[in-house]
Amino acid sequence: MTEVCGCMSCNVGTTVQNFRLETYEPSKGDFGEISLETQMASKKWTILFFYPADFTFV
Amino acid sequence: MGAEVITVSTDTKFVHLAWQREEKDLANVKFPMASDAGGRLARIFGVYDDATGLALRGTFIINPQGKLLNAEVNYYNLGRNIDELMRKFKANLFLQKEEAQACPAKWKEEGDKTLTPSAKLVGKVHEALE
Repeated sequence: MTEVCGCMSCNVGTTVQNFRLETYEPSKGDFGEISLETQMASKKWTILFFYPADFTFV
Repeated sequence: MGAEVITVSTDTKFVHLAWQREEKDLANVKFPMASDAGGRLARIFGVYDDATGLALRGTFIINPQGKLLNAEVNYYNLGRNIDELMRKFKANLFLQKEEAQACPAKWKEEGDKTLTPSAKLVGKVHEALE
């Protein structure tokens, strides 16, 4: 998969390439997976909320 | 509201599990906590900090068609305001229905004044928002 390295703020308005990440799902108490493809197939909006590290503040 | 909030850090899914179970402030969390170990997704979104190997505080709103509509990135010590995130998300939902409208700076929720861009509005925004 080719990667675009750069500031995504400059790419607002473009289509995001598919991504897939492993997850912990508190609602199930188990591990899972999310992907943009699945989100789009379920017609959902996706809000990605990046943060530095678990067990820290703010 | 038709949105999936997904939190992402470079921690592994094991650390997410441990943190969610340990931190009382996270007891009611229902959203997926994603692991971006190695920072691949953070790099794609331009929030990977090479100096620390961690992700900056970035929020990205993607519509159901995969288009990136909003981006906000803060340095480590400034938290993002959740009310503002909700405002932007509600605005996005509204604008998806009402394609001819625009939400001005003071728009907070459906029912607030909007603008309808057109030749008639040029130079008349003040009057339109009175």
